[in-house]
Amino acid sequence: MATLNYYIVLASILFGLGAVGFLTRRNALILFMSVELMLNSVNMILVAFSNFRAEMAGQVMVLFIFAVAAAEVAVGLAILIVLFRHVKSVNVNKFNVLKW
Amino acid sequence: MSNFGFPFSLEHLWQVCGGQVLLVVAGLVLIIADMLLMDRDKQSRCGIISWITIASLAAILLHLVFRQWDSPTVVLSGVFSADRFSIFVSAIVLLSALLASLLSIGYLKNNRAANSEFYILLVFAVYGTVAFIQSVDLLMMFITLEIMSIAVYALAAFLKECRQSQEAALKYFFLGSFGSAFFLFGMALLYGFSGSVNISVIARSISANGLFTQAPVLIALCMILVGLFFKMAMVPFHMWTPDVYEGSPSVVTGFMATAVKAAAFGVFIKVLFVTFTPLLSQGGNSANSITANLVALGAYWKPVLWWTALLTMFIGNLLAVSQKNLKRMLAYSSIAHAGYMALGILAANAEGRAGVLFYLVAYTLMTLGAFGVLYIIDGVERRAQTLDDYKGIGFKYPGLAFLMSLFLVAMAGLPPTAGFVAKFYVFAAAIKEGYMLLAALGIITSVFGLYYYLRVIWMMYMETVERDVVPADMGAPALVAIVIAAVGVMYFGVLPESLSDMAQVAQQGLAAIF
Repeated sequence: MATLNYYIVLASILFGLGAVGFLTRRNALILFMSVELMLNSVNMILVAFSNFRAEMAGQVMVLFIFAVAAAEVAVGLAILIVLFRHVKSVNVNKFNVLKW
Repeated sequence: MSNFGFPFSLEHLWQVCGGQVLLVVAGLVLIIADMLLMDRDKQSRCGIISWITIASLAAILLHLVFRQWDSPTVVLSGVFSADRFSIFVSAIVLLSALLASLLSIGYLKNNRAANSEFYILLVFAVYGTVAFIQSVDLLMMFITLEIMSIAVYALAAFLKECRQSQEAALKYFFLGSFGSAFFLFGMALLYGFSGSVNISVIARSISANGLFTQAPVLIALCMILVGLFFKMAMVPFHMWTPDVYEGSPSVVTGFMATAVKAAAFGVFIKVLFVTFTPLLSQGGNSANSITANLVALGAYWKPVLWWTALLTMFIGNLLAVSQKNLKRMLAYSSIAHAGYMALGILAANAEGRAGVLFYLVAYTLMTLGAFGVLYIIDGVERRAQTLDDYKGIGFKYPGLAFLMSLFLVAMAGLPPTAGFVAKFYVFAAAIKEGYMLLAALGIITSVFGLYYYLRVIWMMYMETVERDVVPADMGAPALVAIVIAAVGVMYFGVLPESLSDMAQVAQQGLAAIF
């Protein structure tokens, strides 16, 4: 029987994987995926809590988060495409015009 | 009669969300106006849209200050709260947006990017920011935070031909969404353990259930702090700031550095002092036990904030010294200012909070003023952003150089400017609470500040270099914005009472949220 704790731990691990992936990978598209992984781990926690507390609020929040994440990625990918036209690469190490 | 459990009427909606409703309407009007003007050329369309934007932002600012301020209303179905604290910070945001849009007219023209979308995005960014400040519900905070951020990402990327602008926007996007994921994770944990996302219900719940010093709540607190620290550009979450501020179009940088930061500080204060350390000046007996429980949490977040404030002041000021590019220098200086404001929050008393609010106003005026002068000189001299480019500017443009010196002196915190009064308030509040060491270290860091601010002034007046550039047109609206900022910096420096009284009243509004 999977209890609430399993879900919280699994979601935390996914969140951690997303964060580590974000910090270590250099491909911009992978960074997008990492951020998505972090957001979706939050969704998982919300659904688990919602089920555990026997109320719908948590599941409604998930829909909001989906919508926001989709909007965010739409803008992010658009910026990436414009930048790709300048740099011809998706490696974030190549985005280095600005540094001290 | 209402099924919502709260008095619902259009009038009530208007009272609570007046500013927000007006902003959305303004945004929609701009979109429609833009379509109706389709057959005109881009230049004149952008001109008309910009003036509609400026007029509506000014009207909404006046509405907030003169109408909503006098009738603060607390809660609409527990999602938004138009208390005086939120109104005060919202007014700062509108002021910043107003000055930024005045500055932007000439900027867009000079960069051949006179597209009317700029103003539409700006108005929706302002809407997101204001709603972010006024929300008292963590989920709504996340959504409005994203409305604000997404619009600002697009604004940062506004110069399509300019690689720096795109790069800055992408970096801002990545770090921004990384930060908000942390905020969201904290929110989800708090929802799970308290059954609500409303910040005052959370406070009651975690206090009543004895959860206030247990791991889940502490992790949640930590996550929410990290999420907000990203937006506030506090060390060690400041890495994106210099790149983003340098690369983004100057007017957008000005808006980002002031409005977004003010909003993040406002929400930070709100979450901290409503959820984690409520200041229940009014609330009766039941409230006292809640306070006692939650004051225990202070033992956890105060050391964290102590170190963050110290690091932010030091790293901001130290790295600013070595910068050659003025925009980048101002980015580091804005990190340092965040550190000083954190000092006022750390004090956790009424003076500290009012001091932070005063600081935000002063900071907004001087930062936007400095970025304004920077961009005008950049425009008229055809790319002049480095320190060397500023040699002899004082003789070539005496007026601009004088105003720049005024803003820099204000940032350095010298009297008789608002920057001095603001620093005085936050340091006094911190000393009152016994943070002697931190205040002393803060004053040492502001000596570094003095060096790099005054170095620019030295360059402007003491060196002469002949640059044979034909000066371009600088544009009257931008000058108006800079003069407004300069007058504000001087006025609040000489006569701070009116504003500091308002800030004092505003911070009392926090208790109304609980």
